[in-house]
Amino acid sequence: MHTMATAPTPIVVDRPDQDESVLPDTPWIVLVWNDPINLMSYVTFVFQKLFGYSLEKATELMLDVHQKGRAVVSNGTREKTELDVFRLHEHGLWATMQRDGS
Amino acid sequence: MARKPKPPVERTKSGFRLNLQIEERDLVLRLMGELRALLLGPNEDDRLRRLFPTAYHQPGDQAMDDEYQRLMREDLVASRLTGLNLVDECLSETSGDSAPLSEAQLLAFVQALNGLRLVLGTMLDVGEDDDLQDIGDDHPMAGEHHLYGFLSWLLDWCIRALQS
Repeated sequence: MHTMATAPTPIVVDRPDQDESVLPDTPWIVLVWNDPINLMSYVTFVFQKLFGYSLEKATELMLDVHQKGRAVVSNGTREKTELDVFRLHEHGLWATMQRDGS
Repeated sequence: MARKPKPPVERTKSGFRLNLQIEERDLVLRLMGELRALLLGPNEDDRLRRLFPTAYHQPGDQAMDDEYQRLMREDLVASRLTGLNLVDECLSETSGDSAPLSEAQLLAFVQALNGLRLVLGTMLDVGEDDDLQDIGDDHPMAGEHHLYGFLSWLLDWCIRALQS
């Protein structure tokens, strides 16, 4: 069947500058590090509040932080994990992020 | 000091009641005023180090961390100041038997208390195995250590109340 040529005109999209060494879907992880000031009860509470973890899960993560020095508390895109880090910093926890597996 | 008959914070039907003595409440308010002044002071004040941690800690990510600090520091300061103002309003308005705090107000109180502990703990260089019991009254920073202990005690009770 013949039809009129109706192919859409290509649209040129201005892409924002990107760090080309990082693929957009590279997963990131958020780490919380042990520190001598934050109370164990407070750290557990923050994990529950920010991530909706059960008391059991939040306590387990807090103990990992306390005993192993750090724990992975969330993961996702860079944008998502950076927001998680910001919220942890708002609550005074020592949180950092890195590419998963690096 | 005599043991308090009531916990310093407790959940009630209408919110969270702070059972602080007037001088304790005034002390907390004064400390929060000092934290506000610090937050509005020079960025490079080392006492604030723990309030603005590194976000991207890997060596190759320094540029991203610079960007994070540039974009987020102001938001972190604003967030802390908003919380301090909220605490200031609800603690200053009341006297003696204070009106109950909402959960949002108690959460702001918790974050402010923790901010104070981070600054004071940094000044005292608190370590993992430090024990307040080891600080004698003749210690040159005995007062600050006892203040740190008081803030820890109060924060822990706030968490208990929130989780009750």
